Amino acid sequence: MSEAVGQMSVDRRNVALDVRRNRRVAVEKAIMVIMIAGSTVAVFTTVGIVLSLVFESIRFFQVVPMSEFLFGLEWSPQTAIRADQVGSTGKFGAVPLITGTLLISGIAMIVAAPIGLFSAIFLAEYANSHVRAVVKPVVEILAGIPTVVYGFFAAIVVAPLLRGAGESAGFDVSSESALAAGLVMGVMAIPIVSSLTDDVITAVPQSLREGSLGLGATKSETIIRVVLPAALPGIVGSLLLAVSRAIGETMIVVMAAGLSANLTANPFAAVTTITVQIVTLLTGDQEFDSPKTLAAFALGLLLFFITLILNVIALTVVKKYREQYE
Amino acid sequence: MRLDGRHLSERIYDSLKRRHSAERRFRAMGLGAVGLALLALFTLFGTLGLKGFEAIEQTAITLDVTFDPAVIDPAGTRDPVIMAQADYLGLVKSALRDQFPEVTERSDKKELNQLISSGASFELQDLVASDPTLIGLTRPVALIASDDVDMAVKKGIDRSTPSDSRRLSDKQLDWLALLKQRDRLNVQFNTRFFTMGDSREPELAGILGAFMGSLLSLGVCFLMSFPLAVLAAVYLEEFAPKNRWTDLIEVNINNLAAVPSIVFGLLGLAFFLNVLVLPRSAPLVGGMVLALMTLPTMIISSRVALKAVPPSIRQAALAIGASPIQTVGHHVLPLAMPGIMTGTIIGMARALGETAPLLMIGMVAFIVDIPKSFVDPATALPVQIFLWADSPERAFEERTAAAILVLLVFLVCMNAIAVILRRKFEIKW
Repeated sequence: MSEAVGQMSVDRRNVALDVRRNRRVAVEKAIMVIMIAGSTVAVFTTVGIVLSLVFESIRFFQVVPMSEFLFGLEWSPQTAIRADQVGSTGKFGAVPLITGTLLISGIAMIVAAPIGLFSAIFLAEYANSHVRAVVKPVVEILAGIPTVVYGFFAAIVVAPLLRGAGESAGFDVSSESALAAGLVMGVMAIPIVSSLTDDVITAVPQSLREGSLGLGATKSETIIRVVLPAALPGIVGSLLLAVSRAIGETMIVVMAAGLSANLTANPFAAVTTITVQIVTLLTGDQEFDSPKTLAAFALGLLLFFITLILNVIALTVVKKYREQYE
Repeated sequence: MRLDGRHLSERIYDSLKRRHSAERRFRAMGLGAVGLALLALFTLFGTLGLKGFEAIEQTAITLDVTFDPAVIDPAGTRDPVIMAQADYLGLVKSALRDQFPEVTERSDKKELNQLISSGASFELQDLVASDPTLIGLTRPVALIASDDVDMAVKKGIDRSTPSDSRRLSDKQLDWLALLKQRDRLNVQFNTRFFTMGDSREPELAGILGAFMGSLLSLGVCFLMSFPLAVLAAVYLEEFAPKNRWTDLIEVNINNLAAVPSIVFGLLGLAFFLNVLVLPRSAPLVGGMVLALMTLPTMIISSRVALKAVPPSIRQAALAIGASPIQTVGHHVLPLAMPGIMTGTIIGMARALGETAPLLMIGMVAFIVDIPKSFVDPATALPVQIFLWADSPERAFEERTAAAILVLLVFLVCMNAIAVILRRKFEIKW
C-alpha cells in the first residue's frame, strides 16, 4: 500500500518536472526568437537606409535626369516660387560637390596620413612602454572630441588665422577656405590612421624584425623595408577608412566650408561638399515634394555608396591581412 | 684592400654615417609627428578653455530700484496676474535715470537703456512675485547687463577705433566708466547659463534646455540600443550557426559601423518622421536615430566582452545540467556585463557628441522652453553649440566655447565611469 503511494508521488514529481522542463523549453525558444530578431535589427537598418534613400532618389530622378545629376557641372538648387518663372528649375549637377568633397578630404589626408603614420611608427617601434602608455591614449582623445567642436575651432580659430596669414602674404584666402576645413578635418582623422596602423604594425611578427636587424639593417631600414611592407594592407585599410570618414564628415564642413558650389582645385577658395548641401537642403522650411529636398536624398545615396565601397575595400583588406599572421 | 682608390672600411664607415643619420632623421620625423598631434590637441583645448571660462562670469549693473506700488499693483490687490503684467521695464528705466539725472535727450535715454539687458525686467518680475513685500521699497538690485556691456567690461574696448565700428558709443562708455567709479559694475557668476533655456540675447541664453534635450535623447538611445545590442551580441557570439545568414549579419554590422552619421539622419527623416509620422524635433526620434547609429559599435564591443569569458565557465555550467540559455543567462552574461557596460558607455559618449543626424530630424529649432518629456521639442548640446557658433553676436562666441566645455566635461565623466568600471570589475582569466 505504502509502496503504491510512494510510486504515485514519484510519478507526480516526474510529471511536475516534465511540466517545468516543457515550460523552460518554451521560454528558451521564445528567448531564442527574440535574440534572432534582435540580431536582425542591423540588417533591417541597412535595408531601411537603402530603401528610404532609393525611394526618394527615384522621385528626384523623375524630375531631374540622372545624367544631369552625375555629370552636370553646375549646382544651384534654388527653385523658383512660380512654375512659369524664367529658370524655374534649379541646376542639380553634383560634380562641383564631389570635387569639393574630394578637395577637402584630400587636404585632410595630406595632414592625417603622414602624421598618423609617423606617430604610429614612433609609438609602436621607438617609444618605450611608459611613453607609449601615456601618449597613445592622449592622441586617441582626438578621436573622442565631437566633430562640432572641431567645426567651431576651424571656423573661429583656424579660418581667420589663415585669412590673416594669406593677407599678409598677398594671397586672397576666402574666410570659408577649403584649407581651413581640410586642415582641421585632418587633425580629426589622425587617430583613425594612427591607432589602426599601430595595431597592424604591432601585429607584424617579431621574427621578421629580428631577421632584418640580424643582417645588419638599422632600425629605420628594418621598418621601411620589412615592417611596413608586411603591414601594408592594414595601413592601406586604415587610410581608406580615414578617407571614408573624411568624405562623410558633416559638422566640420558645415561650420567651416562654404555654401556656394565652385568647381575649383584652389585650396584657398571656398568650396562646398555633399554633406554641407544635404544639411542646407534639409534644415529650415521644407516641403517634401520639391526637387530641392529630394535632391538631398540623392546626395545621401551617392554618399552612402561612395563610403560603402571604401569601407568594404578597407575591411576586406584588413581582414585578409589579419588572417595571414593569426 | 683597395677599391676605386679608397679602403673598403672607409666606404663602409661613410655609408654607416649616412645610414645612421638617416636613422636619426626617421626617428625625429616620428617624434615630430607625435609632437604635432599633441600640439593640435593642446591648442584645441587651450583656445576652448580660454574662451569658455569667460562665459562663466557675467557683468551686472547694480541699480537702486524703487518698487513703485503705483506701477506694480495700483489697486493693492496683490493679485499675481496683475503684478505679472506691470511695466517692469519702466522701473528699470527710471532706476537708470536716477543714476544719471543729467541725461535728458530722447536719443541719449535710449542709448542709456541699452546698457541693461532686456531680460532685466523679467528678473524684477520674478523678484516681486517671490517676495511681494518688496512693493513700495527701494532696494539695490544687481541687474544683468547687455551683451555688449558684458564684452566691453571683460575685454576692454579700444576707444581709438571709430565709434561706428564699435558696439558701444562714446557716451555709453562714459556712463560705464561712471558706473564703475560708483562701484555699481560688478562681475558675478553666470548662474543663468546653467539654469536657462536658449535665448536670442546672448546674456540671457543658457544651456539647461539643450542639456535636458541631450539627456532625454540619450535615455531613449540607451533604452533602445542596450537591450538590442546585448541580444544581438549574445546570439551572434554564443548561438549563431556558422552559415551565410550569420555572415551576412556580421558583414552588415561592420559596414553599418562605418556609415556616415548623416545618412542615419536621412533614414530618421524618411522613415521615423515621414512614414511613422513621429513628432519633429523630439528627443524620442533623436534617441531612436542615435540608437540605430550606435548599435553596430555596441554590438561589436559586447561581442568582444563575451568572447573574453573563458569557455571553461560554459563547459562547467553545461556539465551540471544547465541548458545553453541558462549557461549564458546565469554565467556568461553576468561575467561579461562590466565589459558590455564599458562598451555601452563609450558608444553613448559618441552618441552624445553627434550632431549631424539630429539636424536632419529638426532638432535645430530655436527652443526657449526646457523639454520635460520625450516628445517635447528640444535641441541637444552639440546642436546648441552649432546654433550659437552660427550666431552673429560676438558674445555668443564665448558662450559657444563654454557650452563646448560643458559637453566635454559630460564626455569626460562618461569615459571616466567607463574606465572605473573596467578597472573595478575587470577579471584577468
